[in-house]
Formats: sequence, C-alpha cells, structure tokens
Amino acid sequence: MTGAEPSRRARWRYLLGQYAGLLVNLTPPLLYLLALFYAPMSILLVMSFWKSGYMTLEPAFTLENYITFFTTPVYLKALANTFVIATGTMLALVVLAFPMAYYLARMHPRHERLIIYLLIIPVEINFLIRIFAWKIALGRSGIINRALLSLGLIHEPLKFLLYSKFAVALVLVHEWLPYVVIPLYLALKGIAPEVIAAARSLGATRWDVFRHIILPLSVPGLFASFVLVYIPMLGEFAVPALVGGPSGYMLGNVIENQFLSAGNWGLGSAIGFILLTVTLALVALVVKVAGVENLL
Amino acid sequence: MSDARLQVLGLTKRFGKKTAVRDVSFTVQPNEFFCLLGPSGCGKTTILRMIGGLLVPDAGRVLLDGQDITFDPPEKRDINIVFQNYALFPHMTVYDNIAFGPRRQGWPEDRIRQEVGRLLEIAHLTGYEHKYPRQLSGGEQQRVALLRALITRPQVLLLDEPLGALDLKIRQQLQLELINIQDDFHITFIYVTHDQSEALAMGDRIAVMNQGRILQIGDPRSIYEAPVNRFVAYFIGNTNLFDGSVKEVAGQQARVAVPGVGDLWGVAPHGREKLRPGVSVAVSVRPEKIHIARTAPAEGAWNRAQGIVQDIIYLGVSTEYIVRLNAGHTVRVFTQNLRRNGGHDAITWDDQVWVYWRPAHSLILPD
Repeated sequence: MTGAEPSRRARWRYLLGQYAGLLVNLTPPLLYLLALFYAPMSILLVMSFWKSGYMTLEPAFTLENYITFFTTPVYLKALANTFVIATGTMLALVVLAFPMAYYLARMHPRHERLIIYLLIIPVEINFLIRIFAWKIALGRSGIINRALLSLGLIHEPLKFLLYSKFAVALVLVHEWLPYVVIPLYLALKGIAPEVIAAARSLGATRWDVFRHIILPLSVPGLFASFVLVYIPMLGEFAVPALVGGPSGYMLGNVIENQFLSAGNWGLGSAIGFILLTVTLALVALVVKVAGVENLL
Repeated sequence: MSDARLQVLGLTKRFGKKTAVRDVSFTVQPNEFFCLLGPSGCGKTTILRMIGGLLVPDAGRVLLDGQDITFDPPEKRDINIVFQNYALFPHMTVYDNIAFGPRRQGWPEDRIRQEVGRLLEIAHLTGYEHKYPRQLSGGEQQRVALLRALITRPQVLLLDEPLGALDLKIRQQLQLELINIQDDFHITFIYVTHDQSEALAMGDRIAVMNQGRILQIGDPRSIYEAPVNRFVAYFIGNTNLFDGSVKEVAGQQARVAVPGVGDLWGVAPHGREKLRPGVSVAVSVRPEKIHIARTAPAEGAWNRAQGIVQDIIYLGVSTEYIVRLNAGHTVRVFTQNLRRNGGHDAITWDDQVWVYWRPAHSLILPD
C-alpha cells in the first residue's frame, strides 16, 4: 500500500458522510409507511383469501370472497355506479376547470392571486359540513326547490336534486374543483405567450392553437388532476352515503358496509383489493396512452 | 400604391397612461434588412407586435403590399415572427415544429418532408429531425425557430432580438448566417435589437428609436457619421460629447465655444438653419477620428486640446486612451495598433499629450 491510497477508515467515513443524511431523513417515513400502511394492507390482502362470514374469519386459501363479489349483482351495480359517477364528475370538472385555468394563467398577477385565494378558501372548510350544507340546500323543502316553487317554475319539488347520482356528482364537483383547476393552471401557465403567438403567426387559428398547442401541453396537468381527483373519487363513501341514496350507491359504501355493519372483513378486503387493482390498471393505462413519462 | 413591401403609417399605441409608440411611420422595401434599434422600453417590440398582428394600434395603419392589414389576425398575414426565447413547441420534434406552418397551409406531406430536409441541411441540422427542442442548444433552437418561420416563405419576417439570449461567438456566427439566409430567400426582414453593433453589422437601413419615436432612419454609415441629434450620436457607437454654444457661422463651418476647452470648429451634418450665435448645441467627435501625440499639431487646421493620459486600454486590434483635459473633460481616443510594439516613443500613463481632430469630424448637433 502506498502513502497515496486513502485509508479504509477515511473511505468509510466519507461514505457515511455521503449517505448519513439520506438514512436519517428517509428512515422515519419509510418505517411509518411500512408499519401503518403496507403491513396492515398485507394483512387485509391475506384476509381477503380467508373463509369469512358474519363476524367470523377462518384462515384458509379460497377465492370465495372474490367469487361472491363477481356473482352478486348489487356489488357489480355498485362497481358500475362508481365508474359512472367518478367518470361523469371528472368530465364535468375538466370542462369547468379548463377555461377557468386558462384565463387564470393569463390574468394580471394581482387578480390571479385573488382568484386562487377564492378557490382555496372553500377547501379549508370541513368537507362534512359542506356535504350537510348541500343536503339542506338540495332537499325536498330546500332552498332550491322552494325558490323554484315560489317562482312558479315548478309545481312540485324536484326529486332528483337529492339522493341521486346527480347529487353525488354535484357535491363531488364542489369538493374537487380546486384540485383540478390548480394543476391545469400550472400546466397552462408554463406555456410561454410567445409560443402561442408564434403558432398564430404561422397560420394557426385559435382552434388550431387549442388543438395542437394548448391541449397537448396541458396533459401533465390533466394527468396530475386525474391522479389527485379521479382516483380518490373511486373510493368515495361519505358523499354517496349522505346525498346519494340508493341510486348513488358506490363501491366505497359497499366496503364500508362490509367492515362496519355486515361484519364480513374477508369480503370487505376482497372488494377493496378489486377496487385497488382496477384503479392501478387504470393509472397504468392512462400513463401509457398519454405518454406522460415523455412530458414529466 | 408604391412598390413598398411594408408601410407603417402614423402608428400609435398606448398602454394605460404610457404612450409606448407615438406616431411612427416608415416604409420597408422588398428584400430589405430593416433594423429597429433603440434602448429597452423604446417601443420597438410594440411596433413589431402591431406589424405581426399580436397587438392592435390605437391609431395608424399597417400596409402589406399596399393592402391594409391593420386589423387582420396574425394567421391571416403573410408575416412570420421569430422570438428571443425561440418559442419552439416543446412537445413537438424539430421536424414537427418546422412542419407546423406548411401543415396549416395544407402542403402535401411529401413536399413538407423534402423542404424540411433541405432547410435542415442549409442550417447544418441534418439528423435533428426527431430531437425535441429541450435536447438542443440555444443556437440550435434559434436556427430551428428561424427555419420554422422561413419555410412558408412569408412576405415579411419579423425578428424580435433573436440573438439576444446567445453567447457572443454564436451570436456573431448567427449574424452572418442570418444575412446569408436573407440574401438567399429574398425575404424582407424587420429586425428589432437594442445592440447597436448588431444593427450596424446587419441592417441595410436602421431606424433609431427613443421613447416611442423614430429619431432617424438611414443606412448604417449615415447613422454613424451623420447622426441627427445628441441621442443618436451617443447611442450608436462611442463618441465624445462637448456642450457649448454657437459663436459664429462661417460658410459650411461654425465655431462653438465649449467652456473650459475653448473654441471648436465643426460642421452641422443636417443643415445649418438652426445654427445662430448663442444657440446651445452638442459637439460630437468619434474616438477613432481623434489623433493623439506628445507634440502639438499645427494651429489652424485642427481642433486641439491638451491633457494627461489617465488610462490605456489595450484591445489587441486597437488601443483606447482616456485623456483628462486640463479643463476637466475626459476624451476617449482609439488608435489602431499598426506596429507590434508601440515603439520606443509609445505614449504611456500620465504623459502630457495633445488630442486633435479635423473640423469636418466635429459634428454640431441640436441638444
């Protein structure tokens, strides 16, 4: 060994210095996730293959719970309902959020800030309170029905306002709008005005600009809002429980029911994993179709 | 109508209370390289945007080949724009970027492929078709932006400080490429810059602007050698300015009394009508027109002053002397380095020297 070689100790100390920060900073959150998310999830996964009934659980390996789900029309109906409501709400959200985000991205900074505050403040209010407020407004003798009645526009209260898919979608739009507007706004703000001006000067009409420039460049924002909004909406249970009624019943309610009322943890876990699998498959599909890796 | 390619007539634009462009008129000929030159905020980009259709003027008109296009949207004008920040479409390849204009005009894809390939070859970018803008250097991005704007052969190409974000070497190289491309394509260029050396190097004609107005339009030599006023003389190149007042007018020349320096003989490049005794004026002398020596020049034929060498800046091709006159003025003098060593009598710091120049090189300018 020549004198120019660094000693083993010096090398170890160097490596420790390099990775100590990483270790110190990553260990607590990893342990936290492992103990409080991945471990319980694994237990539920195992449980979903057990024999299970009302308040009973028997270690085994059986697909019974999965078969029960796919052979029970009520559950399949709830699955379909879940996708119909989440997809419809998502479309409504994007249609509402896109123009808003577009103009927001091009506003004077002072107005821009004000509108972002206005957008964020409702999010600070407890969402249960917001759902109950909607319940009061949409009910048979709620403010909307009473106003329409007294104006003579209708002769009896509108029934579809509450306990319907419509009600669920309406409340979900209210709940999630800021989470769609903000990622879209950030994506659209990233488009330099000169890029649009260049396209116009090259002969693009406003529609061409939207189709060929703005829409493709907003894909990362659309993807972010998809992950942030669509996926949680698939697992929604509070909103359908409170304003959905029988026709607005979603898979989240089925799962909740299995755990809290029916006492069938095995079936509840199985349905949970079915939802998770479908969701992950959907994300993978969107990533593949939209080519998001290319843009992020 | 005249055979002008582009006419700008009485263009005015206000933003709130600020008037960005004030009654600007000029005419650009076919295939001309026309520079709009001025300090930042002088309104030159605003004019460009009004010509391109990105802004609508408050007053005035824009004519393209005699047709009024003042209120046409940008896509209806046969005018393309190149921006300082390149403004390439980040989600499209180089090929798709360049093909964007032709596709809007409905060219067959065959013709697009051929033409894009040909242009990439001219710009030494062959093989770049499938790269994305973020994979290119600044100079390459600007070349692509230029090709994208040129491929449809617009009547006029507007360039808004296109080289402003590039390094000096690449900038100089692209200046040459731009001049060559403009010659080859026979396209009228309107080129906005705040860099006077760029305007001098590239422009067939230059419009010098300040505070929303055009002060002077002319070819580079006349702008440099015969500025209309103090601002133009100061903004273009380097100059020495002396403030004084006219003492007498004699033939083509006039005598200006400069406090501290004495009387300077000079000429008024744009007429002597306003030169009456007592009028205050500025005298501009370009540094390369001034001689510097230890011995006094003959009296009479020269304007001359005595001073001390305060600084010497050796630039390789030339040397700049900063001479503090006895009266307190500072004069810059450029001399070419015709010999490898300055000679044994080379002027050095703190030398007592004479600076002197011909009356024809003292330009008497209105303040």
